[in-house]
Amino acid sequence: MAQTSARSTPWVAASIGGLLILALLAALIGLVWIPSAQRDTRISGLWNAICSAAGLVQPWRPARQPTAPVVQPSEVIVTATMMQPADSLSIGRGATLAMQCTMCHGARGMSRADSPNLAGQYEEAIYKQLRDFKSGHRRSAVMAPLVQNLGDQDMRDLAAYYAYLPREAPETPAAVPERPAIVTSGAPMRNIAACESCHGGIDHKPGSPRLDGEPEVYVRAQLKAFASGARGNDLYSQMRNVARQMTSEEIDAAARYYSRR
Amino acid sequence: MPTPSSHDSGQVAIRAELRWAAVTLAIIAFLIAMMVYMSLHWATMPPARLETVDPTTLHLAGEFTEDNLGSAVESDGSVTVRLVGNQYSFTPQCLLVPADTPVTFRGTSADVVHGFNIAQTNVNVMLEPGYVSTFKTRFKKPADLVMPCHEFCGAGHAGMWARVKVIDKAAFFQQAGNARRLSCVE
Amino acid sequence: MLNEDTKRLVLAHFWLGFAAFAVAVLLGEWQMYIRSPVRAWISDPELYYRAVTAHGSAMAYVLPTLVAMGFGYAIVELALKQPLIGRRWAWAGFILVVVGVVAAMAPVSMGLASVLYTFYPPMIANPFYYIGIVLVVVGSWIWVGLMSVNLHAWRKAHPGESVPLAMFASVAGAYLWAWTSLGAAIELLFQILPVALGLKATIDAGLARVFFSWTLHAIVYFWLIPSYIAFYTLVPRAIGGRLYSEAMGRLVFILFLVFSMPIGVHHLFQDPQVGAGVKFMHAAFTGLVSVPTLLTVFTITASVEIAGRLRGGQGLFGWIRALPWHNPMMLAVAFSFVLLGFGGAGGIINMSYQLDFSVHNTQWITGHFHLIFGGAIVIMYFVIAYDLWPHLTGRALKDMALMRAQLWLWFVGMLVTTFPWHVVGILGMPRRMAYFDYSHPAIAPQAMAVTMSFIGGLMLVASMVLFLLVLVRGHLAERVSLPEFRFSTPAHPTGRLPAVLNGFALWLGLMIGLSVVNYGFPIAQLVFLKQTSVPAVPIGTGG
Repeated sequence: MAQTSARSTPWVAASIGGLLILALLAALIGLVWIPSAQRDTRISGLWNAICSAAGLVQPWRPARQPTAPVVQPSEVIVTATMMQPADSLSIGRGATLAMQCTMCHGARGMSRADSPNLAGQYEEAIYKQLRDFKSGHRRSAVMAPLVQNLGDQDMRDLAAYYAYLPREAPETPAAVPERPAIVTSGAPMRNIAACESCHGGIDHKPGSPRLDGEPEVYVRAQLKAFASGARGNDLYSQMRNVARQMTSEEIDAAARYYSRR
Repeated sequence: MPTPSSHDSGQVAIRAELRWAAVTLAIIAFLIAMMVYMSLHWATMPPARLETVDPTTLHLAGEFTEDNLGSAVESDGSVTVRLVGNQYSFTPQCLLVPADTPVTFRGTSADVVHGFNIAQTNVNVMLEPGYVSTFKTRFKKPADLVMPCHEFCGAGHAGMWARVKVIDKAAFFQQAGNARRLSCVE
Repeated sequence: MLNEDTKRLVLAHFWLGFAAFAVAVLLGEWQMYIRSPVRAWISDPELYYRAVTAHGSAMAYVLPTLVAMGFGYAIVELALKQPLIGRRWAWAGFILVVVGVVAAMAPVSMGLASVLYTFYPPMIANPFYYIGIVLVVVGSWIWVGLMSVNLHAWRKAHPGESVPLAMFASVAGAYLWAWTSLGAAIELLFQILPVALGLKATIDAGLARVFFSWTLHAIVYFWLIPSYIAFYTLVPRAIGGRLYSEAMGRLVFILFLVFSMPIGVHHLFQDPQVGAGVKFMHAAFTGLVSVPTLLTVFTITASVEIAGRLRGGQGLFGWIRALPWHNPMMLAVAFSFVLLGFGGAGGIINMSYQLDFSVHNTQWITGHFHLIFGGAIVIMYFVIAYDLWPHLTGRALKDMALMRAQLWLWFVGMLVTTFPWHVVGILGMPRRMAYFDYSHPAIAPQAMAVTMSFIGGLMLVASMVLFLLVLVRGHLAERVSLPEFRFSTPAHPTGRLPAVLNGFALWLGLMIGLSVVNYGFPIAQLVFLKQTSVPAVPIGTGG
């Protein structure tokens, strides 16, 4: 084995020094020279430009008053943890409140008419729609008066109750049709993701309702309402973006498919 | 012919290696100089500013409310396009921009990390929840382009394609006179 | 010679790594098939992302870690000529890796962790996926410790002597891994797992990406180091040549140790949470990390030339024809250099800040790292296995024709797979989509190239099968007595080696210092920004 020499100070000095010079040079170029040459009218002064290049938080510009009224699709903030874990007290209170809902939505949350079936629906979906009916972000002549007296906790209780109810098989089970392409794969170039990637089946996005077993008439009507803009309480226009690109046949196929599940 | 001593050949090897190292460093220095030059002289840069925003309240107030999204004309004649990415679409779904005009994209995400590029341009932006992204560019001529989401954002990622319509500058500014925010969403 | 138990240890590491590799290759080709025009759209895209998660995790975290670990243990005994100290710890580390792999792959295969190997918070998966990855990394840290301990023991027994190059490089790789794995470990332990376990509901996605970028670039140099060890210490000996410059070899590994890590922000060029000045600094230093590769190309080509001339090659290019092309090691190094050339050029494009705009998050990136890692690096993993196999099994490995065929298939398959991949990337094809509408005019030009990549992938599957076949046959062949394992010898006497080229203290200090300079501010700043923690998005919860 070759012997090692002990003379290492020139190496140490050269490597530390060299690295320091490289780092300094890169910093000077990246943090001083380039930002000072960039003409960004919203950053005034060299020091601000340096801070911005380093990554310090800089506001875009002082907040302005919007010149038009702000359009809000909903007042609800939707996150994965927006609902508290339901307890039996909440469900019990919800059961009591739900007695006013049975005429349209059924005694066990399964409607005989074309009102949506609520049994087994996602809790946050029910809560959000109730909030939107009350605030007027979702217009419904039927629902609006019924929710006026509901407080926030009432809505949470109702949501907990209906989520807890078991979903029952549809009354007139028909042969489940083949899964239409729009449901399983969407239509990418028209910006339609597979329905199942949000509405359950592949994955579930908080706030998206479960569609299985919902009345065909109802699903079709809602999709058409999103497409025309008559309904607009979907955050970030997600459903409007989808429905507006769907053809009539695809809307029919999706509605029929989900109603038979 | 006397063979060179092994010590000499060692020296030859060291000199050859050092010559090559010098060539290598010169190549790298040239590449970095190219980067510096482009950064100094071009308007297009990766996002240069760190801005934060609350992703849960984008729809309630602030710069990214529904009425404020789309293409807006600034006082200096440039255009700012505001958009929000979420699972699984960009809003506005169809962006309308003028040709031959400075365009600034400003966007953020409402939920997970998204990103987009616009085909046949150098527009390439990451959208992260909590942060606002800014990107400046200029479209050369009228075209219909696709704008996919290019960062994995969940099971529906494959369906997240928006469109960009680049129209003639005059036509755009004429439309801009009639509407506060423009897009090509039908 | 290798101790009997060490042989079993190394074989265990290699077999687990190659088994994961085999499964991952099959999954990878399935993914190619799914998203190509050859097949109708998959009706459950989550299956595709499940496969991507498994494929990426196996190829990024399992295969290269196990190869580095196994190779490292073998080098300790073969290069230092001392028995491996801490064999029980080594086995413990291996068990941890096994447990980690099982823990991670269980939720993935059930569809509960389709977040991809890059994790992508605020998407959050089942905690066992992350726990599994952590266990694999912790198992590898035991290896790091053992490499250090064994080197230390050897130094005490051989004061003043220069460490054999293979060991020096392996320890450099181990230290590099320890430092670089910290980034992902911090992201997993302090950001992701608290949310996955339900202790927190928000996470800073930007900061998580910065921590991951800390690991993400340097990990490829950790992957690369076993291959470069093979370049310097196995190839010259195997083909009958000499190592042109041992000092340069040491310098190369030192440069990797210092420059690999503090450059990760070049993965975040388009991200909004890092300032442009920081991005420029990382871009500049990324340029510097290409220096050791360029130096290696020179040194190894010179070493190979020596082999050619020793075999009678004359003239400017005659030595090339004289090389032992029937030797799988010769084929591998030539293939690796060709793939490295193309892959490296692509890498330089990616690093160039503005050029990155055209390719970020397009299939160019995927094509690039498959070319350079799957191509240039993994092809050397194959011949590391071939070279060590007789010494591990005590049996002959004589399927030369099969080995050559396997390497040719991998080389050509890699070119056919990745070149069209780069093309569709330039055409703007985005990453990680489970299906594409090839009938749309914007996408139709990409269909042919994607189909070509799929065909190339079939060649890679065939090559993988041949690889396993050779290794299995190596276990069943007749016993042989082998000469002592030799590493390459230098062409010129090395003389006195500067002490800094024999130790790590200075370089570790520089590595840490440079990391602090390049990463300190961005990380500190994001840690103290409270408003950037956003709600977590659990995935795989609805079915």
